[in-house]
Amino acid sequence: MTGKLCVVLSALLVVCGLSHVNAQYQSRHLLIDLDRAQQLSRQLDIDWAQLQLDQSTLGKHERIEAIARRDLSMTPLTASRTQYLTEGE
Amino acid sequence: MKLGGNSNGRVAASKGVPFSKNPVLAVRLPVWRSRVVLFLLFFSFVGLGARAMWLQGVSTQFLQKQGAARYERTLDLPATRGKITDRNGQVLASSVPVKAIWAIPEDVLQAPPEKINALAGLLEMNVTELRKKLDSDRSFVYLKRQVEMDVADKIAKLRIGGIDERKEYKRYYPQGEVMTHLVGFTNVEDVGQESMELAQQKTLAGSDGSRRVIKDRLGHIVEDIGFIHEPHDGKDLTLSVDSKIQYIAFTQLKEAVQKFNAKAGGAVVLDVHTGEVLALANYPSYDPNDRRTLTGQQLRNRVMTDTFEPGSTLKPFTVALALDEGRIKPTTLIDTGKGRYTIADRTITDTSAHGVISASEVIEMSSNIGASKIALSMPAQDMWEMFTKVGFGQQPKWGFPGAVAGRVRPYKSWRPVEQATMSYGNGISVSLIQLARAYMMFARNGDTIPLSFQKVTEPPVGQQIIKPQTAADMRAMLELVVSGPHGSAKRAQVAGYRVGGKTGTAYKVENGKYAMPRKYIGSFVGLAPLSAPRFIIAVMIDEPTGLYHYGGQVAAPAFAAIATNALRAANVPPDSSVTEIVVPASGGPEAM
Repeated sequence: MTGKLCVVLSALLVVCGLSHVNAQYQSRHLLIDLDRAQQLSRQLDIDWAQLQLDQSTLGKHERIEAIARRDLSMTPLTASRTQYLTEGE
Repeated sequence: MKLGGNSNGRVAASKGVPFSKNPVLAVRLPVWRSRVVLFLLFFSFVGLGARAMWLQGVSTQFLQKQGAARYERTLDLPATRGKITDRNGQVLASSVPVKAIWAIPEDVLQAPPEKINALAGLLEMNVTELRKKLDSDRSFVYLKRQVEMDVADKIAKLRIGGIDERKEYKRYYPQGEVMTHLVGFTNVEDVGQESMELAQQKTLAGSDGSRRVIKDRLGHIVEDIGFIHEPHDGKDLTLSVDSKIQYIAFTQLKEAVQKFNAKAGGAVVLDVHTGEVLALANYPSYDPNDRRTLTGQQLRNRVMTDTFEPGSTLKPFTVALALDEGRIKPTTLIDTGKGRYTIADRTITDTSAHGVISASEVIEMSSNIGASKIALSMPAQDMWEMFTKVGFGQQPKWGFPGAVAGRVRPYKSWRPVEQATMSYGNGISVSLIQLARAYMMFARNGDTIPLSFQKVTEPPVGQQIIKPQTAADMRAMLELVVSGPHGSAKRAQVAGYRVGGKTGTAYKVENGKYAMPRKYIGSFVGLAPLSAPRFIIAVMIDEPTGLYHYGGQVAAPAFAAIATNALRAANVPPDSSVTEIVVPASGGPEAM
């Protein structure tokens, strides 16, 4: 009787040991994945900041005005050339 | 006792003698020999026990630490400095990760020369310059800081021993010289040095974090151990500035300074409803991204830190006080005589003889004598209180580094002639932003609100200084300055809008005396549009040289240009049908 119990328990022990090894293995893999995802998120943050910077640099009023005047031959609006429309009239 | 067993044949086979009968066993040794062995064994066990105690008990912490050091690593998690944006979300300052390249000189010098040449090329340095840097006894030398990522990667690919890199941040200012006096800049360590970068250092910086991990042989993180200190990135900062209005203010100011050959200039635009600073421009300015040739003149934030005698821009406060106390009405007549008025030993002059004029016309024509006579009808204490209430001589609490208090002497030490000259802005010093803020009570209904450099979300609470009716009367007078028949600032007119304001021209004070030959500061503070004021715009031109130097000639046109563009940019509906502005050629000089 005790012999059988011993066999069952030792088999159980082996199974537990293996599953622990497996769990550890999986957790490390997941951690690596998580780490990679976090790095990606940081990189995207950096890219986003860079794009915002670019937007601000390219959208500089100085540059817009220069392009409007030089390339598009636009001139500033004056009050005498403006027709104002009022709602309801 | 029978040792061993015959049955399993433990016998000295060769001799055929059983073990127990072995003659060796019969030999009797002296007793002390076994005692010695026992004793030695006992002491070895004691020794082992003591050693185990030592390792497990006394030095266990040290040993565990040493063990951990072989597989545990602490990773720094640097926090990113917060962005600075304008009120509409346009980025004004942002940090981008870069690398600092450092070296252990001894190791690097062993590298082949061609690699060092390549390194010098990547670092944009002379080879001799680089070798000079490496010729050092120290074990840590920065070769170059703030190296951009792609260059740093190329350097890493060279695989020179003793070269390493460290992560750091570089701050970029896309709006450059236009915005720099408001935004400021950080140093190489990412610490704010000027303006808002300095003022908001704590909230912008955030706090670094760290994380303790186990790494495997390949450098992968295998496990987190213990506590993770999350990094807290700096908070983003939304300024009150509107980058469009700022650009308008800066370009118009620059144009005015260059046109009138002035030394410098400053301009500020305030929002009347919220007290927000919509623009703050100084010229000369500098590019915060490249500060190698930065001079003190460029760095100077004149709007905030320079005080000057405001001149006639102060007259409205004297007149408003007299109106508020019921001493005069706008129509009250004042005799300014032939343009000369002597108090004690000093003579106050007007640019021309105005004769008998109304209080309104004192402002319109900017009569020094008129303002002096009104001032002398009031107690000095009342004037002093008025100046103090609007913020003159008071340390500003706007959270902007370097903002100055200006100077208003205590009223008890005023002589009558000083009280008279102070009514037209002599013997008192203010900064341009203080002046602009003081005009807030005319633009609003007699109350004033605190200034803010950050976007305001809740309407601020005002402090009543003068009656609403007085403020309305003052607005009417300020409009006459610009569009009245004798107005001193016709050049401040804006097509399509009613505007009002006051000119000022002051002699510069150097070393406690008026500078000789005369140096001027021309200024103009105005409200627009006058039917429902939205902006307060103040312009100061420092040391204009050449033909023009009066505020009405040098600062008023800049005001008009800023107002025209800012009103259009802010979609303010026009409140006047005048669309063509004709300014008389002479412009007409005015009093100080």
